[in-house]
Amino acid sequence: MPSSNPLPPKENALFKRILRCYEQKQYKNGLKFAKQILSNPKFTEHGETLAMKGLTLNCLGRKEEAYEHVRKGLRNDLRSHVCWHVYGLLQRSDKKYDEAIKCYRNALKWEKDNIQILRDLSLLQIQMRDLEGYRDTRYQLLMLRPTQRASWIGYAMSFHLLEDYKNALNILETFLDQQQKGNNYDYEHSELLLYQNLVIQESGELQQALMHLENSQDQIVDKLTLKENLGDLNLRLQRYEKAARYYEELIRRNPENTFYYKKLIEARQLTDTYDILNFYTEYAELYPRAMPPQRLPLNIATDDQFVKLVDKYLRKGLRKGVPPLFVDLRSLYSDKGKVEAIEDLMMQYADALKQIGKFNASEVNNGPKEPASALLWVYYYLAQHFDYLEQTNRALIYIDAAIEHTPTLIELYVTKGRIYKHAGDPQEAFKWLDEAQGLDTADRYINSKCAKYMLRANNVREAEETCAKFTREGVSAMENLNEMQCMWFQTECALAYQRLGKYGEALKKCHEIDRHFSEIIEDQFDFHTYCMRKMTLRSYVGLLRLEDVLRGHPFYFKAARCAIEVYLHLFDEPLKDENAEQELSTGRTLLLF
Amino acid sequence: MNIRCAKPEDLMNMQHCNLLCLPENYQMKYYFYHGLSWPQLSYVAEDEKGNIVGYVLAKMEEDGEDLKHGHITSLAVKRSHRRLGLAQKLMDQASEAMVECFDAKYVSLHVRKSNRAALNLYKNSLKFETVEIEPKYYADGEDAYSMKRDLSEFSRRMKVPSKEQTEE
Repeated sequence: MPSSNPLPPKENALFKRILRCYEQKQYKNGLKFAKQILSNPKFTEHGETLAMKGLTLNCLGRKEEAYEHVRKGLRNDLRSHVCWHVYGLLQRSDKKYDEAIKCYRNALKWEKDNIQILRDLSLLQIQMRDLEGYRDTRYQLLMLRPTQRASWIGYAMSFHLLEDYKNALNILETFLDQQQKGNNYDYEHSELLLYQNLVIQESGELQQALMHLENSQDQIVDKLTLKENLGDLNLRLQRYEKAARYYEELIRRNPENTFYYKKLIEARQLTDTYDILNFYTEYAELYPRAMPPQRLPLNIATDDQFVKLVDKYLRKGLRKGVPPLFVDLRSLYSDKGKVEAIEDLMMQYADALKQIGKFNASEVNNGPKEPASALLWVYYYLAQHFDYLEQTNRALIYIDAAIEHTPTLIELYVTKGRIYKHAGDPQEAFKWLDEAQGLDTADRYINSKCAKYMLRANNVREAEETCAKFTREGVSAMENLNEMQCMWFQTECALAYQRLGKYGEALKKCHEIDRHFSEIIEDQFDFHTYCMRKMTLRSYVGLLRLEDVLRGHPFYFKAARCAIEVYLHLFDEPLKDENAEQELSTGRTLLLF
Repeated sequence: MNIRCAKPEDLMNMQHCNLLCLPENYQMKYYFYHGLSWPQLSYVAEDEKGNIVGYVLAKMEEDGEDLKHGHITSLAVKRSHRRLGLAQKLMDQASEAMVECFDAKYVSLHVRKSNRAALNLYKNSLKFETVEIEPKYYADGEDAYSMKRDLSEFSRRMKVPSKEQTEE
């Protein structure tokens, strides 16, 4: 529907230049052309020009004027799709998506086949998860642009997201049938086939999914995903032999993936512990450098078998000097018997190493001595072991013995700090982390841990100064950490402020974290079009599903919990004195937020 | 420890690991950009609880002028999980995927001149070669070594088992 107030050719040309300037981000020029039209007494009230002027002003950060102009423009030309579209774009830029959708719909009332408006509408619909609306809009787009790949993919995907697998698959099939066959298949085609397979799998037709995958093998370049899916489907369809072959190949490709071993055990239908242990022995020989075939048996072995295996495992780690030995074995500690077995062995190593430089006193005559560092790693392990068992004194004895042995090993100071932290002494804990940090100022990990311990000890300013060693120069560390969405720091900060009774500051940090989450949800926007072009549809669906539950992330939970506690506290015990009120004022503004 | 290809839900935890370990940080959107453009190329190492203890964030350089090649945007392993060989294993998986899915001829990366541990890993364990020094590459003014590793060995190795498979 044309504007109710069409411009004569000269002004119309100027108007088109405003549009072009907007697209090319030449906002200043855009305003110049708008002025040329509006300064003509006949067109001072021209709706579409006013609207475009407003939209341009918005891009220059002049939001208030922008709204004024756009609204005025719209009032002057309520039947113009341009005015409605512009009003929608303005609201969209302000993240008022529901309002924006209404505007786009009004725009479409006057110009129902406008591709640009339909596209903008579809983006908002998927962003807002108005899936039914999205499907309808994608249908219109397909009808208008049936030759475009994205039209088909978008329409099919709308059904997939609505769990209408039948329609989704019909559309994908129709689209793929039209594709020229015989050309050399590429990455994008390969991704599309894998996406199609995902939809078939989610429809529950495993048999069909397997057939589809087997038939398209040669056209799929992502062999890893291909084999993972072939293994999984064969396994779920109880074709064990075939499944086993795929998982064998997957292990050959990546022997560090623990999941593949578990699946291969399933495929080989091994249920007896003895058989499974033999299986791991077989794989430890096949892939001597791989960790899982050595580590995983420890989870299932029991009693003497466990002792035998863990003895070998520990010796290897201590001989080589693997600092993460304890964190690697920590998950075994849910089993009391295993904890005792490990402790007995470690005590035996400590004694024997001290006396004869061997892991066992009975080995006095066989083989060379262990490296001197073995005893250090035993001490280090025992310190963490007793710390985990909440035996603080024994933990401290071993960590001190380790430090005496090798005073230059930074990990030891970190562990000593952690022992104090677990024992409930954050001040002493931070002292030791500070010591560690001083020994290697170039390592950000140590620096981060040190800052975290400072925050636990309620030293916010010092923590910020510590972090500043690794943040960009020229901005404050707080600002940079916020810009980089460094949520662990902000959460710990909030908790420190909460403990200090600085409730306003605490809430400020919580809301910064909340804003990160809003931002991350916002981040989706560009990928709605991008992924259709790139054909990375499986990952795109993964992104949508992730965003749907984004605020379930532990970072959010922690911040939300802190904020809730502070708000409840402020409700129960409103602050009275003047200082406190000043402090609260930050909190109050946030309450209204 | 488990090494696997990164999924979209890993990206936030990779960012967390990056912020703990390295001075070069990126906003989430940049991680999304990697994960949604080249979903095969980024890998994570996780502990038994599923915490990310190391990652490699990788991409393809698609400028067209040069040979097709991958680029390591970021690689980190938590200090608490060093000496398990995780970095090397992560890099090998990412490199293989670059060859397989995108026909990469080589992979490139930048490393701080002062980062001797990383330099040692790239040079000696992973057979990277220094191409040039890029002066003041980092925000704090430090120089970077620009390095690359030829991947033709990977493409040769990959062709062998795939042949076996078609014969089966």
